Amino acid sequence: MLEPDAAFHLGPEFDNALNRMDFFRLFKALASNFDARYFALIEVGGDETRFDAHGGHSLHNLPDALLDAKGGFSRDEPLLAHVLVSSAARSFDATDVKSPLLEQGGAQSAVSVPLHTVTAKRFALILLCNRERPDHKELALISHEAALVFQRYFDVILSLDSITGLSDREIQIVRWTSEGKTSAEIAIILGLSEHTVNSYIAAILRKLQVVNRAQMVASALRSGMIN
Amino acid sequence: MTGQSAPTPPLILLVDDDPTEQLILKRKLQSVDGPKIDLEYVPDIGQAVERVSAGGIDLIFLDNRLIPNNDFRETAPLLRQAGFVGPIGIISSDISGAYFREFREFGVDFRMGKDEIDGNAISFIISEYTRDQLSETCAEDFL
Repeated sequence: MLEPDAAFHLGPEFDNALNRMDFFRLFKALASNFDARYFALIEVGGDETRFDAHGGHSLHNLPDALLDAKGGFSRDEPLLAHVLVSSAARSFDATDVKSPLLEQGGAQSAVSVPLHTVTAKRFALILLCNRERPDHKELALISHEAALVFQRYFDVILSLDSITGLSDREIQIVRWTSEGKTSAEIAIILGLSEHTVNSYIAAILRKLQVVNRAQMVASALRSGMIN
Repeated sequence: MTGQSAPTPPLILLVDDDPTEQLILKRKLQSVDGPKIDLEYVPDIGQAVERVSAGGIDLIFLDNRLIPNNDFRETAPLLRQAGFVGPIGIISSDISGAYFREFREFGVDFRMGKDEIDGNAISFIISEYTRDQLSETCAEDFL
């Protein structure tokens, strides 16, 4: 019998999750709990002809062989197409649906869970399972657990896009950028990795609604965040 | 012939006082989908600092407790002070301690249980920490 409360992804690590890597671990554990070797959390936009597995806030553990040449999926992929027409989770049997993802992933069944944020962004969580198609009870459990982890992902990561103020660390990074320092130099000064500095810069750009470092510094100066 | 040389494989430095971990990680790296990944091993933080100072390391897996040092709060900053700006991941058999939540304050990028590391997770780490997060218009020559 499945015991969701004892699961890794709903245990202490759920509350401790702080960055994308932590959420990769939680979604991977959720997938594994339902005998799914692969998972993909994909942002599904409005008019695109394909879905990008590497862009934005998507997370997955699919091998490159399961993605198209640009690192994504066709809009026709049935597992993803499902979330464009339904708000309820659905399971698929490999023998009943013509899904390249399911077939190339060598899975027996798949689950497609539509998810959305309070800011109206839509996502799909796909699980490729090495087992028979989950029944309704299990599907309800998967949907519930996916919604819990996804809400936490929103609280910790996705909601940062709609927060306007800068944190102390972000202001520090704008200040050093205004002094002409590169990301690598700021990383050395602050004892961080270059990846972390660039993560902060990407978040600042979104918050200030600007597209490059010069605009970022100009915007921060105008608003008095730095002087 | 295209004249283009093959890209250099990512180089991971494992810092762990238990040499067995090197064998385990080497085996896991063989199961990674995609391009080859190289692994180097050192057993203590002193040698790790020397190795990163020499350059060429793309990612560090740092064992949380390296005898005789304390936990990552003591060791990770030493790697940063040596000028390493690549990603550092703390690995441990138990990451439940409350102090793990402070990892970013000590220059660490992520933490992970040793039992969670597999080919799949390593592929994600490589892709996550080598991807360009900023668009071309945010390149540094736009400053």
